[in-house]
Amino acid sequence: MSEALLLRLALLLYFAATVFGGLSLVNARESNRRATALSLALGFLVQGAAIIVSSFEVGTIAVGTLAEQGALFACLLVGVYLLAQLRYRLAVLGAIVGPIGFIGALVALVAHGGAQDVPPLLRSPWLAVHVTLAFLGNAAFALACLVSVVYLWQERQLKSHSVGQLVRRLPSLETLDNVNFKFLGWGFVLLTMSIVSGVMWAELSFGRFWSWEPRTIWTSIIWLLYAVLLHGRVTVGWGGRRAAALTIVGFGVLFIAFIGVNVLTPGQHAESFG
Amino acid sequence: MSDGTARVRQLRAGPTTEPQIELWVFGLNHRTAPVELRERLAFPDEEVADVLRRILAAAPLDEAVLVSTCNRVELVAVSARDVDIVEPVTQFFARERGVSAATIGAHCYVHRGKQALQHVFRVASSLDSMMVGEPQILGQMKEQFRLAVEGAAASRILRRCFERSFTVAKRVRNETGVAGKAVSLSSAAVELAKRIFDDLGDKTAMLIGAGKMSELAARHFVSNGIKSVIVTNRSFDRAVDLARGFGGTPVPFDRYAQYLPLADVVLGSVTTSGYLVGPSQLHDVLRARRRKPMFFIDLGVPRNFDPAINDLDNVYLYNIDDLAHVADDHRAEREQEAVEAEEIVREETERFWRWIARRDVTPTIVALRGKLDGIRRAELERALVALRKLEPDERRALEAMTQAIVNKILHPPLSVLKQLSLQDSSEASDVAELVHRLFALEPDDAGEAADGDDER
Repeated sequence: MSEALLLRLALLLYFAATVFGGLSLVNARESNRRATALSLALGFLVQGAAIIVSSFEVGTIAVGTLAEQGALFACLLVGVYLLAQLRYRLAVLGAIVGPIGFIGALVALVAHGGAQDVPPLLRSPWLAVHVTLAFLGNAAFALACLVSVVYLWQERQLKSHSVGQLVRRLPSLETLDNVNFKFLGWGFVLLTMSIVSGVMWAELSFGRFWSWEPRTIWTSIIWLLYAVLLHGRVTVGWGGRRAAALTIVGFGVLFIAFIGVNVLTPGQHAESFG
Repeated sequence: MSDGTARVRQLRAGPTTEPQIELWVFGLNHRTAPVELRERLAFPDEEVADVLRRILAAAPLDEAVLVSTCNRVELVAVSARDVDIVEPVTQFFARERGVSAATIGAHCYVHRGKQALQHVFRVASSLDSMMVGEPQILGQMKEQFRLAVEGAAASRILRRCFERSFTVAKRVRNETGVAGKAVSLSSAAVELAKRIFDDLGDKTAMLIGAGKMSELAARHFVSNGIKSVIVTNRSFDRAVDLARGFGGTPVPFDRYAQYLPLADVVLGSVTTSGYLVGPSQLHDVLRARRRKPMFFIDLGVPRNFDPAINDLDNVYLYNIDDLAHVADDHRAEREQEAVEAEEIVREETERFWRWIARRDVTPTIVALRGKLDGIRRAELERALVALRKLEPDERRALEAMTQAIVNKILHPPLSVLKQLSLQDSSEASDVAELVHRLFALEPDDAGEAADGDDER
């Protein structure tokens, strides 16, 4: 099956997930929740297949363009969400994840055919490992951010004593806080693994394990930021509003750095993903 | 029904449904006044007798009962007809509590006559409660009625009125499902807790004070699977009793603060002059529990918890008004159940209103005389048609004879009624009621009059 067809199918499934997600905001029926999860899962599989197809065409993982990166990121985000909602009652969050998958698939479809070759220097199995780990980590951080936004909104509703229908559909604050912590933890582990894999790859292929360039500098900063946040949680008990706000700040920095580094600056990473 | 009887009934309905006294309810409740104002105007039980004595002196009232609970402050009073008590009573409360008369005026309601009576019955039956069907109000009313009786502020009318209201409340409780709805505020509290906490199964609730309402809420938390309950109360015995009730742990009142860090849900219902828990104290508590969220439910009036604690991170404070707001979603359902109860109240109001109206026997006398005279005339008319050829003096003789019969029949009952009315006892009403029933005097005149009343 061609990549474009797969992407169209994924688009359709994500659209369905968005609709069912929206319905479950209005009506908390179990059938709505299941339909959301099912269409998300199918969308994830189909989009995953599309990425694999295009990766085979490129010869290595398809992350040559910003659009491809966006698509991969959205797909992994949906995947991480699906895993998480097996463990936690995240209920209506599918309504937000659905559109994210939809946009990812849409971006991939629009940019379809414009795949850029990855420079030969970077054609290596390490690339797939390094990039997948990094993107999985980013997806976890993005979900942590999403959960934090929901947390802050719901917290404000509860503080101001206005408890509407929507608040009743959302997971409890404690659940959101726990899930935030889990996402942060996993994101941090994945980010660390991606750094380690990058270091090993650099050492093995280029003979130097670290090069100071914008991407690595920013990654170090982000790693430190999340390290502090997690440390605060574990030792001092930073939770709730403060943790949520810091999570959002953390992801904001990550997002801006990612885009900024990709678009603006030179270096080993930018060289490949220009 | 012929035009003639309709006119007679109308004529009669006038005097019989208008008693010679006026019944008043002057008050404010959770719907008309914010909790700040309610707590300003609330009177502790110890002061009630004294306040009643002074208000009877300050305003032109014959009788008065003060109903003061967390959700309402109401003066139920009896005055002579055509006397306005609103102004002097407003002034009295304003003076007494240092609140401007304008503020009271803006938040209070005044019911008079039958509407006032119906209001008292509704309050006793817990239909006017914030939590419709909650059992507490009846006990509070009984207590405050007792205080008024002891202070000689409630006598003939209000005594009967309140006693009747207790009977009405019992009927409502027994005959309708309204009492079952008492749980709605408690479920709102549990629902909120579930918005905050993931799982109640590892949470602890602390009960400060052993009010009926907080007990009810605590029970609700227990049945929703909360792990443990800590109970504290000024009377330690009561705390022990209550704790036994739901397998909780009693702690002495002077040491509850050190258990506060253990509590995820804190229910306060203590009568206190200051706040039990404020922000600075809570700061340390939060640190001790590693900033895990706390849910404070303030059921006390005056309030137990400083409203400022709601601004602290991970602290959620709901007072009784906030809970009611949340519970509003279920209000429609509850009101459906209350319809039956309202019907009972209306019926009882009519009955008792007739009783009040007949304390003055004059209308009964008029009605009885009118009824018999009506019969006499009708029968005489018919006889005269049959005896067409009567002479004028024969007619007069016939008329005089029927008149004499009626008067002779009426003499003993009328003199009894007059005598009773002189004694000014409540027996007059009962006898008048009986007379109305025996002679089928306007059985539902009052009912028809009620339809014209503005219904709330």
